[in-house]
Amino acid sequence: MLIEIFAIILGLYMAWNIGANDAANSMATSYGSGALTLKQIIFVAAILEFCGATIAGHRVTSTIAKGIVPIELLDPHLVSLGALSALLSAGFWITLATYYGLPISTSHSIVGAMLGFGLAAVSQNYLSIEDIKWGVLTKIVLSWIISPIAGGLLAFLIFTLIRFALLERYDVYRVERVFRYLQVLTACYVAFAHGSNDVANATGPIAAALGFLGRETPIWVLALGGLGIAVGVATWGYRVIETVGKNITELTFTRGFSAEFATATTVLSASMLGMPISTTHTLVGSVVGVGLAGGLASIDLRVIRKIIMSWIVTVPVAAGLAIALYTVMVIFV
Amino acid sequence: MKFLRSVTDIFGYSPFEPLRQHAEICGRAVGLLQKQFHAYRRGNFAEVERLREEIDELEHEADKIKTEIRSHVTRSLMLSVDRNDLLNFLKVQDDIINYCEHVGHMLTFRIVKTAPEDIWDEFDILLAKIMETVNEYEEMVDHITRLLATSFSRKEINAALEHVSEIEEMEHECDMIQIGLHRKLFNSKDMNPIDVHLMVEWVVHLGEIANNTARAADRFRTMILGK
Repeated sequence: MLIEIFAIILGLYMAWNIGANDAANSMATSYGSGALTLKQIIFVAAILEFCGATIAGHRVTSTIAKGIVPIELLDPHLVSLGALSALLSAGFWITLATYYGLPISTSHSIVGAMLGFGLAAVSQNYLSIEDIKWGVLTKIVLSWIISPIAGGLLAFLIFTLIRFALLERYDVYRVERVFRYLQVLTACYVAFAHGSNDVANATGPIAAALGFLGRETPIWVLALGGLGIAVGVATWGYRVIETVGKNITELTFTRGFSAEFATATTVLSASMLGMPISTTHTLVGSVVGVGLAGGLASIDLRVIRKIIMSWIVTVPVAAGLAIALYTVMVIFV
Repeated sequence: MKFLRSVTDIFGYSPFEPLRQHAEICGRAVGLLQKQFHAYRRGNFAEVERLREEIDELEHEADKIKTEIRSHVTRSLMLSVDRNDLLNFLKVQDDIINYCEHVGHMLTFRIVKTAPEDIWDEFDILLAKIMETVNEYEEMVDHITRLLATSFSRKEINAALEHVSEIEEMEHECDMIQIGLHRKLFNSKDMNPIDVHLMVEWVVHLGEIANNTARAADRFRTMILGK
């Protein structure tokens, strides 16, 4: 019982961190462009993240919980320990990376950590190496590569359309005024999509730890995750929104709309497919897409190298930590 | 403590507002130069010296902006214009103020006493024309804001390019005034040869201000048509 409670607490910390950093990041474009005030963003983000998590969060949650490691083949006690070690290692890595401001992804961390738990179970002969669902894992890694590209492509198309259909024909300031309202909608869309995908990083391990094996994850677990994200936005996210928003004044309403719409569509599609992707990386891809379509004065491509580095580092580190923690816990707990 | 994972790094340094400021400083320098000539003609040499210092300061300020832009516009930036076009444009724009500084100094070399009034009048006309050219130039550079806002829409590009032909026309008029001045100076009967020499230098260097304004406008055209 104690292990399950620990898992819930750590899961909530994950959700809080996701709300504090990733939700805020995705919404900050609306603050930067001035479509919404800080209070409005926190309100919108908290409600729609929660809705996204509870309404559309189950598929990705199920992928994280039992899509990578076949937990139905393991003793429930071992699964609880595994989920706990995954949460501990992902939580630790995310905290460390956040402290140093690295653009890592919570989704990548938790996937790496769950894989680590699976590999540790293999090393202790509870599972064989073929039992790990490598097919799903391959799909997940592919989705990490595809999602920023898809976001970029979509954003490119949307902004190109806006450019030729509107900016070439009508007064730019009138067009921007209309998009001020449209951007409020895309901000909500982003919050909903983000909630539906990233909540799983918290609720997936919780669901596994609580032993919902053959069944759907109960709605209260998703709601708990959603609540955690909402609290994260409200208690820390506003600082991130302010900092980020101040630095992206270049993103006008039309640009923000394009990037947000592309990001949200990509992320929500991934949620429907049960793929745990990084909203932040998708947003970066979308912003580059707007830039390629001629929408931004200046884009610094060094970030892309940083993101690729964070991919390469995050999975092994999270997996390695999880292997170590799980092995120690199985011996002592 | 920061405790932040942010996406802001993706938004790179934008050189366009500094470029606009740099152009504005060039315009201010030409304005001061015009004042400096008027002070010279009135014989207020303390004022001439003070204005020279003021132009020097502006040139220094422009240099700082130029250095800032050059050190930030790295290859990793994806700009909405070609990087080389932008740096070429900046270099020529910077020459506008460099020549202002040269002329500012030349006015402090020597007190010209033998120049007839009609030569001074011609200088007034030349300076007014240069001022007009640079004002037109500043208006052109101001278009950068709207160009960026509309992602370089055809209409905005055309609006900006209208200024380029205006500037080229004005530069030609400056040339004509310069030729007239040279003729007058070289054919003057009562002027001290050293005075003639210095004034010819003034004319040549003032001409460079107009030349570089037109060349910068041309580079500006290359830059905004490049994408």
